[in-house]
Amino acid sequence: MRSWVWLVALTAIVMALAPAAAGAQTRGDSIRIGMDADTTTMDPHRSTAAVDRQVYNNVYGKLVDIDARFAIVPQLAQSWEIKNGGLVYVFKLRRGVKFHDGTDFNAEIVKWNFDRMRDPALASPRRSEIAPVKDVKVVDPFTVEITLSAPFAPFLSVLTDRAGMMVSKAAVEKYKDDFARNPVGTGPFRFVEWVKDDHLTLKRFDGYWESGLPHLDEIVYRPIPDSSVRFTAMRTGQIDVMHQIHPKDVSAARGERGLKVSEIPSLWWEAMHLNNQVAPFTSKAIRQAMWYAVDRIVIQRVAYFGSGAPGWGPFPPSMWAQDRDFTDWKRDPAKVKAKLAEGGMPNGFSFTVKGWNQPTQIQELQVVQAQLKEFGVDMKIELLEFGKLLADLNSHNFAALRIGWSGRPDPDGNAHVFLHSKGGLNRVRYDNPKMDELLDQARSEPDQSKRKALYAQVTRLAAQDAPYIWLHHDAEVKVWGEHVKGFEHISDGMMRFKGVWLDKR
Amino acid sequence: MIQFVARRLLATIPLLFFVGVVTFSFVHVLPGDPAILFLGEEATPETLAQFRARLGFDRPLIAQYVEWLGRALRGDLGRSLRTNQPVTEAILQRLPVTFELLAAALVISLAIAVPMGIVSAVRRNSGVDLASTVFALVGFSLPNFWLGLILIYVFALLLRWLPASGFVPLPALADNARSLILPALTLGTALAALVTRQLRSGMLEVLRQDYVRTAQAKGLSQGVVVGKHALKNALIAVVTVIGLQIGGLLGNTIITESLFALPGVGRLMIDAVFARDFFIVQGVILFLAVGYVVSNLVVDVLYSYLDPRIRLG
Repeated sequence: MRSWVWLVALTAIVMALAPAAAGAQTRGDSIRIGMDADTTTMDPHRSTAAVDRQVYNNVYGKLVDIDARFAIVPQLAQSWEIKNGGLVYVFKLRRGVKFHDGTDFNAEIVKWNFDRMRDPALASPRRSEIAPVKDVKVVDPFTVEITLSAPFAPFLSVLTDRAGMMVSKAAVEKYKDDFARNPVGTGPFRFVEWVKDDHLTLKRFDGYWESGLPHLDEIVYRPIPDSSVRFTAMRTGQIDVMHQIHPKDVSAARGERGLKVSEIPSLWWEAMHLNNQVAPFTSKAIRQAMWYAVDRIVIQRVAYFGSGAPGWGPFPPSMWAQDRDFTDWKRDPAKVKAKLAEGGMPNGFSFTVKGWNQPTQIQELQVVQAQLKEFGVDMKIELLEFGKLLADLNSHNFAALRIGWSGRPDPDGNAHVFLHSKGGLNRVRYDNPKMDELLDQARSEPDQSKRKALYAQVTRLAAQDAPYIWLHHDAEVKVWGEHVKGFEHISDGMMRFKGVWLDKR
Repeated sequence: MIQFVARRLLATIPLLFFVGVVTFSFVHVLPGDPAILFLGEEATPETLAQFRARLGFDRPLIAQYVEWLGRALRGDLGRSLRTNQPVTEAILQRLPVTFELLAAALVISLAIAVPMGIVSAVRRNSGVDLASTVFALVGFSLPNFWLGLILIYVFALLLRWLPASGFVPLPALADNARSLILPALTLGTALAALVTRQLRSGMLEVLRQDYVRTAQAKGLSQGVVVGKHALKNALIAVVTVIGLQIGGLLGNTIITESLFALPGVGRLMIDAVFARDFFIVQGVILFLAVGYVVSNLVVDVLYSYLDPRIRLG
């Protein structure tokens, strides 16, 4: 009798352990993600908040995606061909892909999505991203031909983000403006519920086209705005993955049992924008004095607790476009004094910098303030709420303003809009025809090694003209529990959960 | 009584109108363009203009206000610029959370303050009195968010007794209570401190009065004298304080809800302010104003119950 009980118990234990022992991917679990902010809208063609893209990457399929090495990889487009010197893109679409509402994905739907983004009435933020698109043509049910008005090398990389996300036409027609709360895509997870500021739930989409995926049954996004509370939730097991950790908590996270910290270079840059049309920054020599006065290594150590990398140009270390031979960004007191004298202000000057009222950014500005002080440059810090800061930036209402850029996978997205005289975000009114030429050339050049050489020139010219004082490239840090398996960390910071499973041994 | 309440409610109409005008103009003079926040930094001037036109933001402020007011009177407070959710629906969805938080904070603060205030008055200058004075001083001086962080550190991280954040809605009673204890303590401590002091001084004054001495002379037990005769009269001051503090509590829910990630009205508003989601901000402020007016009305009605000499009319 006794041995019989033992036998049953032993069999049960072996059976329970069997899949785990084999290291197999277990299915059916629910994962909880701690976010820094709530999603703002579920319509990718109307979203402007970076946080939205986190959820979208699991709900919506995109024409193409990027992998950990920034290579463009197929997703809804199985293959593509670039013709006419980069003017025409022909996409072969994947067959048998369904939206969560059961409707089919095909070339007509792709055309309709582009038309939607380009429709002035929708006022879509995507419109400017796909501005080079001149025409979208359905060749056959699974072939789309997109013609550009001029060669645009970053085009595919633009499609790895919201502009490449395909939404269900049937759902948009059904819900109209309420599509923002009733999203339907072709991604591995379908939308279930969104209680604003509490949770957003996705469930496994059984009709997903990649067989065997996803492993998880459910994703629950929980917005916990306070970073230390979010970290506590992570340490106490209330969440499985933590998005956005404060740099000061990183070493504590590394020391915590059961947690894994992954830190990779991001696409970000942080910079002080100098208004090239407001004195004293109208003087190139004064801007150069600023360039050599800041100690970017100290900034990284003090304000960012050693994480990330010193910033001295628009391209972070994660990008192939970064020119690693460039060294003319170190602090150099002799040059600062010479440049100040050249600019007619040997004893320094005073100015006000506007910045966002947020701890890390304040600390960074305070470090810069102390560094400039040594040369008699008196920098006053005016802290603003983000909306007001953005408004001042857009109306050129600043002498100096400190703000960051989340970055784009293609280097063009980190440089052209800021440095080109007609760039949409060139709020400092920097204007150098040589720079315009380099940027335009790099944008239309299909060959990456040639582009790299052009971007090296861009970096050097930008350092010389110093319209921006780049300070730092943030690190892309994620914290997750050791039981979270199969997570691939990509520099764009987006968490793609289709290959993730939980191992709760 | 009914007449009094009706008259008071009528008097709130001009007040709410005033609140409406003030919120509306504040929201619109706020620096920061909603169009840029919604369309992104790269938006072209044409796109921005289209966005403003679609929402009527290009018309004169007066025209916008009249339209908003007209719809508000019919119960339509507009829709969120971001999610297109009706404002009323968004507020009603979150109201239970904020209401529960406020109620829990009130209960907790009274549970602390009433016994402490009574004991420290009755045993004046004792050790208990000293402890309650220290509690009141510290409790009132601690910044709300800091207290919250300390509570999270101790009870969620060190002891692991309570969750660090999040809200479990009501049918799950035990989990609901667990999710509210720390936020309610955070929100209620300052009030508890204030009420303790008020009750103590109120009790001291009442205990000195003739009728209390009479009651004692009649041979009534200390418990009856304090609990029945003295407390009720001392409570008038307490009710006044609570009534005045409701506004402060409502304001502090913004911090508490953000810290503990509770999906309440306060957090709805602060997010909307940062995003310049105008209709949400206006709607929430209007709601808070109504809540404040009603809670003060309740306080006035309570007065007449506590002290029959105060007649409403």
